[in-house]
Amino acid sequence: MTKDFEDNKLVMLSCAGDAYAFEMLLNRHYKTIFRIAYKWCGHQENAEDITQNVCIKLSRAIHSYKEKSTFTSWLYRIVINSAIDWQRSHKNYNDHKNTEDEHISSATSSPEGDLYMKEIMTQINDLPEKEKTALLLTSSEGLSHKDVSVIMECKESTVSWYIHEARKKLTNTLDIKENHKTGNKKEQGHG
Amino acid sequence: MDDKKLDDILKNMEIPQPDENAKKRAINMSMAEFQANLQKNKKNENNFQGLSFLARLMGKSNKQKRTDPMKKRTIYAGMATAMAVVLVAGVTMQQSNFTFQQETQKSFIKTASESDQSHATGSQPLIAPADKAQSPNLLDERRNRAEMESPALPQDQYGRKEPNGQPKRDDALHNKSSTITPAPGSSMALQRLAQTPKAEGQASTLKEKKIAGGIAASPMVSMDYAEIDQADLFSPQQYKDVGRDDFEDFKINPIKLVSEEPVSTFSIDVDTASYSFVRRQLNHGVLPQKDAIRVEEMINYFDYNYPLPQTREQPFQASVTVTDSPWTEGKKLMHIGIKGYDIDPAVAKPATNLVFLLDVSGSMNNQDKLPLVINSLKLLLGQLEPNDTVGIVVYAGAAGTVLEPTKVSDKGKIIAALDKLSAGGSTAGAQGIRLAYELAESNFNKEGVNRIILATDGDFNVGITDRDELQDFVERKRESGIFLSVLGFGQGNLNDHTMQVLAQNGNGVAAYIDNLNEARKVLVEEATSTLFPIAKDVKLQVEFNPNAVSEYRLIGYETRHLNREDFNNDKVDAGDIGAGHTVTAIYEFTPAGGPASMDELRYGKKAEAKPAPQSTDEYAFLKIRYKLPNENTSTLMSRPVTIADDMTSKDGKPSEIIAQEAAWATAVASFAQILKGGEYTGDFNYDAVIKMAQAAKGDDPYGYRAEFIQMVRLAKSAAAMQSGR
Repeated sequence: MTKDFEDNKLVMLSCAGDAYAFEMLLNRHYKTIFRIAYKWCGHQENAEDITQNVCIKLSRAIHSYKEKSTFTSWLYRIVINSAIDWQRSHKNYNDHKNTEDEHISSATSSPEGDLYMKEIMTQINDLPEKEKTALLLTSSEGLSHKDVSVIMECKESTVSWYIHEARKKLTNTLDIKENHKTGNKKEQGHG
Repeated sequence: MDDKKLDDILKNMEIPQPDENAKKRAINMSMAEFQANLQKNKKNENNFQGLSFLARLMGKSNKQKRTDPMKKRTIYAGMATAMAVVLVAGVTMQQSNFTFQQETQKSFIKTASESDQSHATGSQPLIAPADKAQSPNLLDERRNRAEMESPALPQDQYGRKEPNGQPKRDDALHNKSSTITPAPGSSMALQRLAQTPKAEGQASTLKEKKIAGGIAASPMVSMDYAEIDQADLFSPQQYKDVGRDDFEDFKINPIKLVSEEPVSTFSIDVDTASYSFVRRQLNHGVLPQKDAIRVEEMINYFDYNYPLPQTREQPFQASVTVTDSPWTEGKKLMHIGIKGYDIDPAVAKPATNLVFLLDVSGSMNNQDKLPLVINSLKLLLGQLEPNDTVGIVVYAGAAGTVLEPTKVSDKGKIIAALDKLSAGGSTAGAQGIRLAYELAESNFNKEGVNRIILATDGDFNVGITDRDELQDFVERKRESGIFLSVLGFGQGNLNDHTMQVLAQNGNGVAAYIDNLNEARKVLVEEATSTLFPIAKDVKLQVEFNPNAVSEYRLIGYETRHLNREDFNNDKVDAGDIGAGHTVTAIYEFTPAGGPASMDELRYGKKAEAKPAPQSTDEYAFLKIRYKLPNENTSTLMSRPVTIADDMTSKDGKPSEIIAQEAAWATAVASFAQILKGGEYTGDFNYDAVIKMAQAAKGDDPYGYRAEFIQMVRLAKSAAAMQSGR
């Protein structure tokens, strides 16, 4: 609550032309922006690019923020939109590249886990934008369906639908691969 | 693969740390954009057309937009009727006596009236409509700030913009506040908080009414305007906090016991940056941050009329005056004034090889930065001889030579090069410095003065960004005989600390230029002192006589402190004096037997009382060491400070003019110390400073001293405003 209050205060000062307040706002949220961007694209430099875009966008759009939603959900929306924009503009030449050369890993870092993680990220990247957004925001960022519905500007039930769809697709493809892998192992064991 | 597993994986995703440089870059770019937008908004506000930016980008559906105000209108209509009833009832308590009411009204009536005006002109930049969630606290704070910015705002300005019939609203508001005002009491602030949202509701009501009365604008948009105007009261460009300005923090010199530490050693300092920065802050109605105030730089901003040295062999002369301290009863002040000889420009001006090193990074993209730099340098060009040379190096993301060393006789070429400069990119300062030294070396003039003039806001963020490394580099280059002066520009991003480090180690001067007037002072009137050094590594050492003095305190020079042994060590760098520079140092001391600030030690050695009568006539012994600009061994100058220098003793016979100059220095020192917190100035306040300064103003041909007095007044009102918060 106090955090939101502080954010709103900073936004108001920024709107009044207080550059210092605006900078404080950026410093405060830089990490959050980067985190979401990173989750979206799974690549450090690309995430930094997106974060930079978001910062610049903020400087233009800060005036349009209203206290109807919390600053963070407004920010989430901007980050997600920027990430989508970025992805669209880069789709042509590195469709899959961005997940190949990055260092994304799970906290429990084992080579196998990393490989698995990479696989999941690739799958997530292939999801439709909205499903991907809904899934990342709920599962990874831990937001409630209601919060996500505000961010995505849709109904709560729609969010639930997106997540359901995303999980279905992921589980299907991953299960197929998993089965495939274990199947291979079994074969080897027998052989 | 189940959902839980997927969730786990997604939750535990490892996020790397974002790169600091990338962060800095992103934030810088965004800030530049922010500033640009600010300016654009300002420019466009008079030819605004069509739907506002905000109206188009509304985060909700059109349908909602229409229904919301309809509901509100019903409520507001009811409230309006209620207000009318109050009016008809003829409540006569229109003028409220409580100041807090007035304040509330002032702020909100203004909102209403100004927003009405905005309908008339139909143009404003936009900000979020913080309607319901608008925090009372925040409003208070903003109002305070608004007051601070326009301290002269007359109280009766409330209704000045009201069109016909509007005064009635005033009355209505007055009535309303009278009726909702509970008994006055100690909980005034609480009441104000409680009142604020209501009053705001009123303001909006009035506006809604007017819209219902036929103005063809979306009511929703008008709500936004109300907020905008309120924000606009604090006119974007005017509010400047001290922001990212970086100053070295240091402790004020403490009082020292002569019995424990009889010797005080420091390097002189002719910089003036602190004074200009303080002036700028005060002109914005803000008290400067304490670390920004270096007392000695405030004192040395002024030119003092100390006697000039008799011969050229001796580059300067020290004059000493002792007066009573205005801060503490029974203490005395010792002024040490040094004035360097002035070069007669017609005869002895040495040839000059100048390299302008200009920061053209994005952070310099501001009216008071790069454009001011260019104009300042054009002023300086007028002071140079046709045979002097000027080269220009610029740096932003990369450094480059814009102009090879060119004779000043070819002025058109230099000016054309200056005019072509524009700002953008990040700041690779160190690379620029390297290139500038190379250019200066390539055109080195053995007979003349070789100097780099660096104009920057001090923000180096590419290449060598470490202050110590920069310092090492500049120190090494100093040996080559090229001096480095630093001119600081702008605010909000000023890295004073880096600038000081560069100037102090590059044998140069650091000045802060906040406007063209200051540029004229530094680069035209004081061009000879800025450009031509007459002595370098000037160190002062004062040894106090324990028989005559019990305690002392050096005022200012905290950042210039030297160890006792450094005085005789020619390898230790110190400050430089240019032609015609004056330097003043002030000690406050307690004569033996005077009011001591520190108790005597119970177990310590008792100070051996040696009442040798003739030795108490001598307060202290002053020693000055300096090197001539192209020498490497120092010369020593010394003189005793005796009772004959004491204006208050009957033997004292200092000249009237020196006494007046000493009084001026004291006034400035008082002011600087009060701004710094007034730890040692006792009851001496701003009014006393003004009085003292008025009496000691003297000739003041350029009006700098009058400006100082004005500054004290500004500080007084700024301080009152801040304590009133």
